[in-house]
Amino acid sequence: MGDKSFLKISGIKKSFGSGDNRTEVLRGIDFEVAKGEFCVLLGPSGSGKSTLLNIIGGIDSPDSGYISINGEKTGDMDEKTLTRYRRKHLGYVFQMYNLIPNLNVKENVEVGAYLSDNPLDVDDLLKTLGLYEHRHKLPNQLSGGQQQRTSIGRAIVKNPDILLCDEPTGALDYNTSKEILKLIENVNQKYGNTIIMVTHNDAIKNMADRTVKLRDGMIRHNIVNANKIPASELDW
Amino acid sequence: MKNPLWRRIPKELRDDLGKYIVIFLFMVITTGMVSGFMVAGESMKKTYDNTFDKYNVEDGHFDLSNKATDDMKAAIEDEGVELHDMSYYELPMGRKDSDAENDTAYGVRTLRIFAPRNDVNKMCLMEGELPSEDNEIAIDRMYAVNNNIDIGDDIIVGDKLYSVCGFVALSDYSTMFQNNNDTMFDATIFGIAVVTNMEFDSLPEKNKTWSYAWMYDDGMPESEKGEKKQADKLLETVYAQAVMNDMTVETYIPRYQNQAINFAGDDIGSDTNMMKWFEYIVIVILAFIFAVTISNTLTKEASVIGTLRASGYTRGELLIHYISLPVIVTLAASLLGNVLGYSVFKNMGAELYYESYSLTKYVTYWNADAFVLTTVIPIIIMIVVNLLVVNSKLKLSPLRFLRHDLSRSRRKKAVKLPHWKFMTRFKTRVILQNIPGYVVMLLGIYFAQILLMFGLMLNPMLKHYQNDILDNMIAEHQYVLDSPVETSDKRAETYCVKTLRTTGDIDDEIMVYGIHTDSKYFPVKLRNGDVLVSDSYADKYELTDGDVLNLKESYADDKYDFKVTGSVSYPASLAVFMTEEDFRNTFDLDNDYFTGYFSDEKLTDIEGHVVSEITKDDMIKVSRQLTKSMGNTFYIVVVFSLIMFMLLVYLLTKLIVEKNTVSISMVKILGYDTKEIGRLYLSSTTIMVAVVTLIDILLSCLSIKVIYREMLIDMLSGWIPIYMAPWIYPLMFVLSFACYLVISLIQMKRIRKIPMDEALKNVE
Repeated sequence: MGDKSFLKISGIKKSFGSGDNRTEVLRGIDFEVAKGEFCVLLGPSGSGKSTLLNIIGGIDSPDSGYISINGEKTGDMDEKTLTRYRRKHLGYVFQMYNLIPNLNVKENVEVGAYLSDNPLDVDDLLKTLGLYEHRHKLPNQLSGGQQQRTSIGRAIVKNPDILLCDEPTGALDYNTSKEILKLIENVNQKYGNTIIMVTHNDAIKNMADRTVKLRDGMIRHNIVNANKIPASELDW
Repeated sequence: MKNPLWRRIPKELRDDLGKYIVIFLFMVITTGMVSGFMVAGESMKKTYDNTFDKYNVEDGHFDLSNKATDDMKAAIEDEGVELHDMSYYELPMGRKDSDAENDTAYGVRTLRIFAPRNDVNKMCLMEGELPSEDNEIAIDRMYAVNNNIDIGDDIIVGDKLYSVCGFVALSDYSTMFQNNNDTMFDATIFGIAVVTNMEFDSLPEKNKTWSYAWMYDDGMPESEKGEKKQADKLLETVYAQAVMNDMTVETYIPRYQNQAINFAGDDIGSDTNMMKWFEYIVIVILAFIFAVTISNTLTKEASVIGTLRASGYTRGELLIHYISLPVIVTLAASLLGNVLGYSVFKNMGAELYYESYSLTKYVTYWNADAFVLTTVIPIIIMIVVNLLVVNSKLKLSPLRFLRHDLSRSRRKKAVKLPHWKFMTRFKTRVILQNIPGYVVMLLGIYFAQILLMFGLMLNPMLKHYQNDILDNMIAEHQYVLDSPVETSDKRAETYCVKTLRTTGDIDDEIMVYGIHTDSKYFPVKLRNGDVLVSDSYADKYELTDGDVLNLKESYADDKYDFKVTGSVSYPASLAVFMTEEDFRNTFDLDNDYFTGYFSDEKLTDIEGHVVSEITKDDMIKVSRQLTKSMGNTFYIVVVFSLIMFMLLVYLLTKLIVEKNTVSISMVKILGYDTKEIGRLYLSSTTIMVAVVTLIDILLSCLSIKVIYREMLIDMLSGWIPIYMAPWIYPLMFVLSFACYLVISLIQMKRIRKIPMDEALKNVE
């Protein structure tokens, strides 16, 4: 793993609503992630982990604090610069796949490739993802796991520095979830992307390099996992 | 690498093919019609304008009571003109197989027979051949159509049998005015024809009218004023020569006064304004439709858009993506529409003119205005409207798209409803959920209702106008004399009349009447100082008591001001009424001057001095001709507007059903049947469509008065006051609602097809 402060989260606070309805979702978050590290944001529902992920990804802004990626503060960027930054450096995987329904698997991955000046080879990636023989199918012809793999392919084809995953296994069954986790692990090892994954599944922390546990908008634990296990051995 | 989002375009087209085909066809037909009619109008106008040189149309003509002598002709030609013999015969026409006694229709047909013209007022052979045998005759094309005469038919002209060998158009008879003083033409009862020279010479001279056309040696003067001056000068010579040779000048018509030559040219091209309004209304409606469907697409694809924006797609890239299909469809439809316009619809447009006028063969001219109006402007409107809609939505953050939080409303809580029955509350919630859609429906249907109202109102309006004219005629017979002569009929009453013109932007002819103070005919007792305007004049110019009318002579510099003191019901023309005394004083005329007589009985002792006699038939010629030329067009407008209404309602109700697909699927799982689901989701739309239609009928009624005025003010010389037959409003509602019921059946079918597992799929 590389530079420890590749991703720096400093003093992040965020609240929603106003007056009596004001809710402090993040109350001062500070931690750092090294380049190539697999970091899991763990916490129960309402702990602020998805909000934190959105702030890291630049699609939400904190009330105070800053995010720094490889020395660049995202808070200093205007909308256009931020969009360009996300285009070049960030990949997103969501719980609900969000594939374009009338493009096939290959075309959905190409949607991500188009954004990069130096994308990965689409066909090779499809093979890695186990989707090559399904490349001409539309999303509604795929299983949940296949759709999520396509979504991961779309995110990583542009070879992003950071891959942000928001509950990528949330809508999948046990076996399919493990497949996806193995895939993400494989991507991390093969391409060296830094991965931040949000989950409420405690077991997943065992495959991560770092676990940041959130509760009530604050970090409860920030643990480096010295004994991480492969995704295939996870059990819940 | 090419943007892979472009590959969505053909797929989206295919997935919603029905909708795009309907919109495409709609645009093609609209563009085709507008382009075709504009091209036809413009081409007709240019062809008409070129006719004067191409066919060497006369600069004027006069009729004499006898044949002009050579010396007479020489003396007249010394005034700087060249004379051409245009003499003719006017004979009754009958059919070979008609029973003349019983067939009263053919008793009133008249043909004006000419010899072939090769120098001046040349002929245009429209179909068939020119006569080569003495028993052959070529007749006016339009007259032939109106009387169902085909080439090869036999007709009786005078007492001779002729075989129709061809159809012609004479360049000095583009409009079939039998007498230049007629208020309107009628190409059913009067036409022109050509026979061989030998046949012409063999006809008995007792029926001949000695007519001579003149051409100025130095060409036609530049202005109408100059033309009048030159023509007046020539008249002096013609008159003097006629007197010297013991003849009378029966008619003297310089070209600028010749209705048979000028009427068509003045009319052609005046429909462009109406076409432009029609195009604007349709394009705005279609832009609305696209905007609504795109807005719905953005809502449906919110997650995808959020993901793409989060991944780094710019707003501009997505903007171009979402507006490209409407622009492509508009461009394709405009181009195809223009192709159809220049081919099919142009011919239809030309046909409309050919149904009214005896025009020569026309040549198609490229019309840049038509292209801009039907291609450039619609694309600009489409781009602008869709840019505004899409851009305003894309301004939302990627996070809001991911959360499907696209509402601009700050309201987070549900509206509290009273304790109504469940079904009532459910339907109310559906209405509240879809208020933005209903607002769009209100606006879209408003435009469709305006078109529908236009289509339905014209024929009853013309009929009403006709009846109004007849009810308000001053007298059964209105005589115009060549000089004041006495009649022995005590029931007749003198009057004065003069034609002036308006000053200002709109050029109209105003009839100024001087009426007896104790008139038996005029409905109002006039006193000196009274200046009453006809109600049509008051309506067109929005005149009220105290307004000052600034009028002028047509061909002189004299101007007159009249202060309005009231109005009178007289829809037949734009007119001003004053006492005879005031009239004579205003125009500096003798105390015993008068122009003619009003009489409810026919006057028989002044026939030699009658320039024209205006009867009921003449009064309603205008409305009859308008009904004939425009009446059928408005059925097309009615059908078109109903299709537009159905398209709008179909799309908007489709959106409502699509928005509620998951909910509908869920209630199916719960056990509701299709009929119950229809009551839950469609009945609220039914109520809203009824309410929206009623509101829009009211709004259209208010708007149409403004639109009508703007459209007709330049188009029509004279005025037809707007009239809405009362039955139009309920008919509009019934037609619209009937169309909606058809659409609701289609939507019920859509609801029936929604599968139950739709609700069980992954839902955010």
